[in-house]
Amino acid sequence: MAVLLLISVFLIAACGLVYELLAGTLASYLLGDSVLQFSTVIGSYLFAMGIGSFLSKYVGRGLVTRFILIELMVGLVGGLSSTILFLAFAYTEGFRFLLYALVILIGTLVGLEIPLMMRILQDRFEFRDLVAQVLTFDYLGALGASLIFPLWLVPQLGLVRGALFFGLVNAAVALWTTHLFRDRVGALTRLRVLCFAVMGVLGIGMLYANTVLDLADSALYADEVILARNTRYQRIVLTKWKDDLRLFLNSHLQFSSRDEHRYHEALVHPGLAAVAGARRALVLGGGDGLAVREMLKYPGLESITLVDLDAGMTELFATHPLLRGINKGSLTAPKVKVINADAFVWLEGHDGVYDFIVIDFPDPTNFSLGKLYTTAFYRLLKHHLSEGGLAVAQSTSPLFARQSFWCVAETMKAAGLQVFPYHAYVPSFGEWGFIMASKHGYEPPASLPSGLRFLTVSMVPDLFRFPADMGPVEAQPNRLNDQILVRYYEREWREIAR
Amino acid sequence: MSANGVKSLASRRAFLLQLAPKTERRIEGAILDDSHLRGHRLRDGQMRGGLREPRKAPLVIVGGGIAGLCAGWRLLQKGFRDFVILEMEKQAGGNSRWGENEVSAYPWAAHYLPVPNRGSKLVRELCTELGLLYEGEFEERHLCHSPQERLFLHGRWQEGLEPEVGLQKADREQFQRFAGLMQEQAASGQYTVPWEPGAKASALDRMSMDDWLREKGFDSPYLRWYVEYGCRDDYGSLAKDTSAWAGVHYFAAREHEDRGPLTWPEGNGWIVKQLLKKLAPHVVAGAMVTQVAIGARGVRVLTETNDWESKGVIWAAPSYLLRYVMEGAPDTSGIIYSPWITANLTLDRMPRQAGTEFAWDNVIYDSPALGYVVATHQSLRTRIDESVWTWYYPLAAVAPAEGRKQLLARDWAWWREFILNDIGKAHRDIRQCVRRIDLMRFGHAMARPAPGWMFSPARAALAKWGGRMVLANSDLSGLSIFEEAQYRGVGAAERILRVV
Repeated sequence: MAVLLLISVFLIAACGLVYELLAGTLASYLLGDSVLQFSTVIGSYLFAMGIGSFLSKYVGRGLVTRFILIELMVGLVGGLSSTILFLAFAYTEGFRFLLYALVILIGTLVGLEIPLMMRILQDRFEFRDLVAQVLTFDYLGALGASLIFPLWLVPQLGLVRGALFFGLVNAAVALWTTHLFRDRVGALTRLRVLCFAVMGVLGIGMLYANTVLDLADSALYADEVILARNTRYQRIVLTKWKDDLRLFLNSHLQFSSRDEHRYHEALVHPGLAAVAGARRALVLGGGDGLAVREMLKYPGLESITLVDLDAGMTELFATHPLLRGINKGSLTAPKVKVINADAFVWLEGHDGVYDFIVIDFPDPTNFSLGKLYTTAFYRLLKHHLSEGGLAVAQSTSPLFARQSFWCVAETMKAAGLQVFPYHAYVPSFGEWGFIMASKHGYEPPASLPSGLRFLTVSMVPDLFRFPADMGPVEAQPNRLNDQILVRYYEREWREIAR
Repeated sequence: MSANGVKSLASRRAFLLQLAPKTERRIEGAILDDSHLRGHRLRDGQMRGGLREPRKAPLVIVGGGIAGLCAGWRLLQKGFRDFVILEMEKQAGGNSRWGENEVSAYPWAAHYLPVPNRGSKLVRELCTELGLLYEGEFEERHLCHSPQERLFLHGRWQEGLEPEVGLQKADREQFQRFAGLMQEQAASGQYTVPWEPGAKASALDRMSMDDWLREKGFDSPYLRWYVEYGCRDDYGSLAKDTSAWAGVHYFAAREHEDRGPLTWPEGNGWIVKQLLKKLAPHVVAGAMVTQVAIGARGVRVLTETNDWESKGVIWAAPSYLLRYVMEGAPDTSGIIYSPWITANLTLDRMPRQAGTEFAWDNVIYDSPALGYVVATHQSLRTRIDESVWTWYYPLAAVAPAEGRKQLLARDWAWWREFILNDIGKAHRDIRQCVRRIDLMRFGHAMARPAPGWMFSPARAALAKWGGRMVLANSDLSGLSIFEEAQYRGVGAAERILRVV
């Protein structure tokens, strides 16, 4: 039995260290400054263990029962600690307070464990053996935990499930102890029911860990999350603050309803209004339907084809009342045909020719997306552009990512297109850049549709003038086999983030 | 007590493992090659008997790999159309064979063509004809897309194959010195592709690449791994079994003007497909040659079912086979062949990884294998879910004969574990991603440039051997790459046209 109890020491020591590491890691994740977080968490935790050790002298009779109860409390509080902290960060201002309160509480309880265990074991060993054995297993448990934590727990279980799992270990030790001391403990059934109850709570926690993470997700966004959905390709989150709706794709701001009109008017009208007699239009990307909303202001257009990879996105924007409110139901307009396909592959497989093409892809943050900004892509695009037609591509910010912007222009040029770069100010994005491309020149439009909120006819030529700090810089064209744009982009945005 | 403790720990560990995500999914697959069976019957002289239908062809090409197909390519260019190509396998292609499944086409062996130097006229001629090279520029879609290569080193992926993470100053200096030496060698102009036209007899060929590194004072483990990788990759041999001249050739023969290489989902199978567009009517597949008899006025070529009467023969199959099919065969015993095995893994999804993207060629440092190539990498899609990976493994650590024994002795399940453990070093969840692993074993995958062989009189004599029958396999070059196979094939076609 002594051996079995020593194994318990090993396990509870491991659990104790895991909670400490979890708290430190979580605080570092959420608050940053890992040196400060780990130092203060470890310090308060060890101090609290001292409090626990001190308090142990007040535990008199019923040692084993008390030990079991303490195990259950450690299991419950420690097991739920990550969950509580995540939710506290998401929904309250009191994260720091709760963090240290939990650390002190768990530390105190864990501090009680070893002294009680030593007293339980005191009849079975000589004093010097007792100290040696118990502390050996205590430290072994710490070693075990410190290895398991980074190698298995965090990568495989994650923080929420990991804590719950070790809570279950604590509860299991409690249950096991009721079994070992079944002759010496009163109210055995009641203790065991309690053990199962704690295990039940933690088990349910394991099942619903994902929901907890989803709830905590809201913490990332400043405003109230009114919709969050995982599609096959991305995570769509819609937030609302007063009348401002914001759409995030994989945590990147896509638009704010306060100023998206600036972006989309600038994207569509300088081009489309300048194509005389445009009949067929194509939108690549732009599954929110906002570019299409602007294009529907041209009665002469006979058809608009929208190709977006993500059916989850286009469906959402075709059906959700709030979103239909923003895009004016553009995705269900009779002229509009929505196709869910990978744009490059789709263009390759079709031979339609269009008078106006909008390219509204996500920024070239990686080599996969970077393919959509290559000479190969624009050469293909050129085949789909009518002789008098215009194509326009959103091309990141000429201010923040200046070389990236001019790289897109250079790439289109290398693909044999004439380019006409321009820019507009969109408060939630900053200065934003677009590149107009054609086969035969470009003249700004003589008129615009009525009812625009941002653009006026007279200001369109101004969009094509660049201040000195956004003007052309040297850049290589972006090719499939040498995606220099992704490197430019990564470097430039990293410098901004610094 | 301690024994009990350990036991409890062990059971604890098993318990923890059970709680990890499900890993043991069922993986299908098979060893797909079987030609060694027929090959061994040929070796043992069991295929001489039986009735054969007589056929006639002025010229017979034996072997439908790159050498044989390129011989045919040149014959057609010269307006000579009366020839057949006898291919032992069901499909032409040789080391450029490929497969296709519901996810992608994929290579079985050769999977790329380096961007040819300006001096590599023959390769450039073919590239121009296939539409790869237009007005001096290579078509971007056929060049390997970014990112090309990455290396798993010290627990993380880095860009490029040259080790960068964790190098000491001394290591970096050695890499720089190595690059400098290679530039010097390249500047000598003698490292051409194909190699024979430019080469001058060199003392380097008599020592091994390993000895050369030692002599030059290169002892950085990273640099040695890098050079070793090059030798295993191109020649299937360790640096100690590779001629230093060939080792230097690997690093000094390429100009690297354009970012390359040229590659396709099916690897060099793409080139085979293009060649077959014109050559398919000439190809007789599933025809293994069992006997060749050279007479005064012609050559008889016997397969299992036919008796071909011809005026001349191009032997583009591996040269070592000659001794089993003819009297008075030239001595090919100097050619050492490296055994290889390749695997194609079909994946339901790519393994999870943070902060890095899959490259075309993904190499794991200090692995005995060469890593894996992603067949879907050249796809224009922005999002890849399912994929096929080709995994390469030359059995370089043991003598070739021993390697061939191992190939025959180990079953599919053994290789499955070996492969998943190898890739698992870099992708822990690989077992949850793979649904199929198919294997192809190559007992005599490629000729290896062993020290002293490339510039030996025996090799030169073999390359020139022949009259009514000429040899064309890339093994005559001592190294097995596309350009050598093409060079040998085209050269053989030009020689045989003088006879036929």
